[in-house]
Amino acid sequence: MPFNRKPQKFNASIKEVTIGCGEKAVTLGGESVFPFYTFDGDMKNAPKVGVEISDMGIPEVAGIKAYYEGCTTMAEIAKKAAAMEGADFVCLRLEGGDPNGANKSTDELVAIVKEVADAIDVPLAVEGSKNVEKDAELLPKVAEALQGKNALILSAREEDYKAVGAAAGLAYDQKVGAESAVDINLAKQLNVVVTQLGVKPESIVMNVGTAAAGYGYEYVVSTMDRIKAAALSQGDAMLQMPIVTPVSSETWNVKEAMASEADMPEWGPVEERGISMEIMTAAADLASGSDAVIVMHPQTVATISKMIKDLM
Amino acid sequence: MVKVTFRFENGEAVEAFATSGEDLLEVARMANVAIDAPCSGNGSCGKCRVKLLGGNLESVQTRHISDEEYAEGWRLACCSKVTEDVEVEVPDIASAYRSRMKVADLSSPEEIAIFEHTKQDVEEAGIRLENDMDILNVVMDEPTLDDTMPDNERLMRAIKKLTGCRQAHLPYTVLRRMAAVLRESKFDVQCVIRRSKDGERIFVYDIYPKDAQVVAGGLAVDIGTTTVSALLIDMLTGKVLGKASSGNGQIRYGADVINRIIESTKPGGAKRLQDAVIKETINPLIAQMCRATGVKQEHIYRMCVAGNTTMNHLFAGVDADPIRMEPYIPTFFKTNSLYASDLGIDINPDAHIIVAPNIGSYVGGDITAGTLVSTIWNRPEFSLFVDLGTNGELVFGNSDFMMSCACSAGPAFEGGDISCGMRATDGAIEACTIDRDTMEPTFQVVGGQKPIGLCGSGIIDVISELFTTGIINPKGKFVREGERIHRDKYGMGSYVLAFAGDAGADRDVEITEVDIDNFIRAKGAIFSAIRTMLASLDFDVSMIENVYVAGGIGSGINMRNAVNIGMFPDIPQEKFHYIGNSSLAGAYTMLLSNEAEKKTYEVASNMTYLELSAVPGYMDEFVAACFIPHTDTTLFPSVNQDQE
Repeated sequence: MPFNRKPQKFNASIKEVTIGCGEKAVTLGGESVFPFYTFDGDMKNAPKVGVEISDMGIPEVAGIKAYYEGCTTMAEIAKKAAAMEGADFVCLRLEGGDPNGANKSTDELVAIVKEVADAIDVPLAVEGSKNVEKDAELLPKVAEALQGKNALILSAREEDYKAVGAAAGLAYDQKVGAESAVDINLAKQLNVVVTQLGVKPESIVMNVGTAAAGYGYEYVVSTMDRIKAAALSQGDAMLQMPIVTPVSSETWNVKEAMASEADMPEWGPVEERGISMEIMTAAADLASGSDAVIVMHPQTVATISKMIKDLM
Repeated sequence: MVKVTFRFENGEAVEAFATSGEDLLEVARMANVAIDAPCSGNGSCGKCRVKLLGGNLESVQTRHISDEEYAEGWRLACCSKVTEDVEVEVPDIASAYRSRMKVADLSSPEEIAIFEHTKQDVEEAGIRLENDMDILNVVMDEPTLDDTMPDNERLMRAIKKLTGCRQAHLPYTVLRRMAAVLRESKFDVQCVIRRSKDGERIFVYDIYPKDAQVVAGGLAVDIGTTTVSALLIDMLTGKVLGKASSGNGQIRYGADVINRIIESTKPGGAKRLQDAVIKETINPLIAQMCRATGVKQEHIYRMCVAGNTTMNHLFAGVDADPIRMEPYIPTFFKTNSLYASDLGIDINPDAHIIVAPNIGSYVGGDITAGTLVSTIWNRPEFSLFVDLGTNGELVFGNSDFMMSCACSAGPAFEGGDISCGMRATDGAIEACTIDRDTMEPTFQVVGGQKPIGLCGSGIIDVISELFTTGIINPKGKFVREGERIHRDKYGMGSYVLAFAGDAGADRDVEITEVDIDNFIRAKGAIFSAIRTMLASLDFDVSMIENVYVAGGIGSGINMRNAVNIGMFPDIPQEKFHYIGNSSLAGAYTMLLSNEAEKKTYEVASNMTYLELSAVPGYMDEFVAACFIPHTDTTLFPSVNQDQE
């Protein structure tokens, strides 16, 4: 009996969300098939790769330091990041805003955001400090400063979605990243309340959370997988937003990426391990349903963008 | 050895001795000083605050105590170790549970009507409401010098002759008093007796003069984790003579069954928990009902108890620890070896205590008793029985099969865990509507007086109204502002139902975001349990013909609003029936009717039990249900939130 291919067709599709302006703008989502199931149908837009930079400067990783060598200002760092091979957008992470860390002021951080935004022509995503109170104050100011840039503001969470969602999604016409903690229902609930604020579903991108590969990662797979299934097969409009997943902030903090070679000689060079963790996690996130990943190391950016190209 | 002095706000003091390094809360418990600790001393609830008056404690300052308060001497008793002689003040807040312990008469006409109704339902299902208690008029020949038979043989011979039984038993309590009674009434007496099932044996509970007004009293008790309710009945007529209810005195040892079991395993713990439910809770309820009705306590000859498995065990003073440990095996499902004198219950010492049978570690006698009066075992169509207690329990089925499951809902339905929550007693807001534009509330208060707090049915109404008028979002967070919306310094919103001036208490009656969150979790637990159980049977909510809702939530429960907030499935209103405290009604029916008792055992043995924690999808269902009305709005087609 001849093999009879049965494509898995869905009537629904993931909403398309565009970030950035001009010819370098990128569009996330749009697919009506499972991740990379190009044999079933068109994915429309290839998943995107963002490069993370931080207001705290260049991280102490040899390969990353080498890439950014000679960069002294945030503008130079941002330009260099945008020029990375395979990069679609830049993500500026304002980790220095954390009150338990460097605790930089909102004004200081907004100035950095402006400097970076003015330096690059690729789309910009801005990630907050992870501290809810600080972000509720900081991210609306960031959204204001980026007017006209169509930036992605990460993230509106259950605790601060009103402040962040209203500023980014309503007042200053940016794209809102809705962040929840690896649970399909929590993701959906946040989308419901953000849209009830008046934010258009077409302006929302989900960050449903991730873990580094090996750190309870099966929850991530199952969550993303079920979100895509509900969005496509059940046509659940409150789950049809594209997913963006910041990877590097998870993977570079686990012991596999941090333990020195002196402590763990049998594990091999520390930087290689860090890159491996980042690549494995980003690849798995994409295969599970992320429409974009945010990574840090030039080698990861190159590898992941090549993987996407080869699979499309 | 160090000395610890507990001083109360009213000036009284209790002194206790402890070894250095002992936990202050433990010392308090040993000394029988009542300090509220719903979390059982984990440092998580912050209720066990005491204030240092003299000496020092080795304390950990938790998030419940601010720096300022710490400097003033406030400590958490559970996080403090005794190292030297110390004097502490026990503030009213630490003994606040006492207010919840207030014995209240709940025999409103509506409540009594519900009991009458369930009694009728059971009778219509073919159960005869008859029992073996009786009052006999026994006439004997007076003894003479020629007729020298002793009193006890004389009485027994007369009873045998009168009833045709072969054996009569006179307990010591009767033996002790009979000489005087017999002579006073010239050997013409009344005896309160109970026949054995085959009629062969008779137990004589009591003996009275011929013309005495005799009531053969019976006591039905529902031991809830949060609330204990009792009925005093006339065993011969079945009439309800009195009803009373109170908080369960065990509350201060933990709000849930697990914390209580843990507490019971500590030295002397089993006795403390037994005393808390019997001496501090059930005995005062008995005293109150007897005072109100004029029935003497020793004239209560039989008792029936319905409670969850843990409550049954702690009540009987039986080790409850195996209930919480795999494979979760209790000491008994049913037992008939309990007598009032064994447990120190202030009724006739020979009174036999029957216990509604348990089905599993987490589905207890309260459910079998409730299932009995719901009569779902007698119907061909499918019914759902829901008991809204601290543990939410469900039974689904019909005359062919029944399945049960339990979920942890917390005390919110009985007003626990809610800042202004209370039982459905005088002063409780039991129903409420809110004007969409002005956000002004209109409410109904139990007893018609000024409002003091909210009972379960009131909370359902308020949350449903807040949601439909767009004041809160589906997550339960306030999204509108106005005179009645308050925000504390952390931005947490609350809605004021009655300002202090209009309330019957000296503070605002309000509902906060935390209250709403607690309630959403409780309703989410119930709804997800319903969904999971039906899904395990491959059933759909449309197949439910009747929903019987039981529990201390209040007779004013508005089913439409309960559907609006996503607590019950979206099926037509007329399918819902509120049957009140079905556990108590079941205990009452078992007490009154031999057939009902037998039927309850049968129901228990025919019911299968679904362990929700073993169902992989339950947690997902739960999170999906923690939203108003539900994350999947297609499950609630009739619920609409008014949008601006």
